[in-house]
Amino acid sequence: MVRRAVLGSLVLVALALLTISFRSPTSGALHDAQGYGATVLRPFQVAAERVARPFRDVYGYFSGLASAKAENKKLRLELHKWQAVANANLAGARRAGELEGLMHFEAGPSYPKNYRAVNTSIISYPSGPFAQQVTIDAGSSSGIRDGTPVITQDGLIGRVTNTSSHTAVVTLLTDADSAVPARDTTHNVTGLIRHGQGTSLILDLVSKELKVTKGDLIVTQGTVDKRYPDFYPYGIPIGQVQSVGTSDIASYLSIQVAPLAHFDSLDAVAALIPKKR
Amino acid sequence: MSALDGVKAAALLFVAAILQVSVFAQVHVFGGVPDLLLVTLVGIALLRGSIVGAAGGFFAGLLVDTATLGTLGLTSLVLTIAGYWIGRYGETTGRDRAHAPFTSVAVVTVLYLFGLVIVHFVLGENAPAGPIARGLVPAIGMNLILTGPVYALVRRLLRPLERADYATEVQLLG
Repeated sequence: MVRRAVLGSLVLVALALLTISFRSPTSGALHDAQGYGATVLRPFQVAAERVARPFRDVYGYFSGLASAKAENKKLRLELHKWQAVANANLAGARRAGELEGLMHFEAGPSYPKNYRAVNTSIISYPSGPFAQQVTIDAGSSSGIRDGTPVITQDGLIGRVTNTSSHTAVVTLLTDADSAVPARDTTHNVTGLIRHGQGTSLILDLVSKELKVTKGDLIVTQGTVDKRYPDFYPYGIPIGQVQSVGTSDIASYLSIQVAPLAHFDSLDAVAALIPKKR
Repeated sequence: MSALDGVKAAALLFVAAILQVSVFAQVHVFGGVPDLLLVTLVGIALLRGSIVGAAGGFFAGLLVDTATLGTLGLTSLVLTIAGYWIGRYGETTGRDRAHAPFTSVAVVTVLYLFGLVIVHFVLGENAPAGPIARGLVPAIGMNLILTGPVYALVRRLLRPLERADYATEVQLLG
């Protein structure tokens, strides 16, 4: 009898917490209390992460060594290709600067001119099978707000969707609810980046009359119209087109994009804070 | 259960929860993720019964949801039921059997993962069962690997109770 009463009480409390938390996930007294709790737990999480880091690095070293030879050959080929692309981009960037001034381009602030980076690290990883979210070791006290874009040195990983004073939750691009307006820099085609299978992404809403080819670089589109500002500044690399397909009945191309950021081994990240709010 | 046992169980669950969200959650092997917290909870529930199992599950779930700023109560709900169920198994049929921790971990891993699918589905969130099913066998395998050392540690800290100390409603014969 006592057992069932205890179980029933705990289940009821859990359901009550679930209901309140689900109805107001980013505000309210319960969210504030959760934020304080997260702040208290943060030192323990940081300590555990630091203790585990050497072991993870050793594992990563041996894991990387196994595939290093094959990858080296592939990377050398890619390096030649990217060097040519970089040279072309350099010339293009100089020209674009002049053109932008002439055309009074209204694409909004361009990274990194109007953004400052808050460098931080990840202190917890997805806690369940459906959570494509990570927690970072910086929060509203560092200027981070809901919607703040988060990047690694490779490219965009997602945006902040929940904050406390010293931690923040980042919803990754691989989350089912994530959608990022994006642009193919090679063919100047725009679309919407959504999650695909596993850690892959898809570039959606691209009409099949348009041209996109394998290897094209996909970046954030940024704000096109100032009345509808985007969360992400223009030009943050997202990924590279892996395959392009279509069918007779489909309205849009089926474009697979391999993300540049390594979602399986996220560690050091930076949150981009606008200099002017 | 003495107050000292309660403190030990709480400390074990606290450490397991912190390690789970900070370290183990990042270990992906063939789509499966080891769950140190679940294995620790199974050990405690088997040794201390259903009430401690349910309370421990609730406490551990609350820690996870707080640390990850997730939906409060979600993990608590599933772990409370898991802890209670394993506790009942320990109190009735499983307490003297050497395979009990391994059987419990294997079964509760399946129930826990599909329990999460159901709760997420009920909440109207995206909850595809396919990735869960694909990662199920590796997850069970890794949890079973953890079971031996974790159960030994839990058993060392929380000595098994005498038969008379169990509050059972089932009379065992033989």
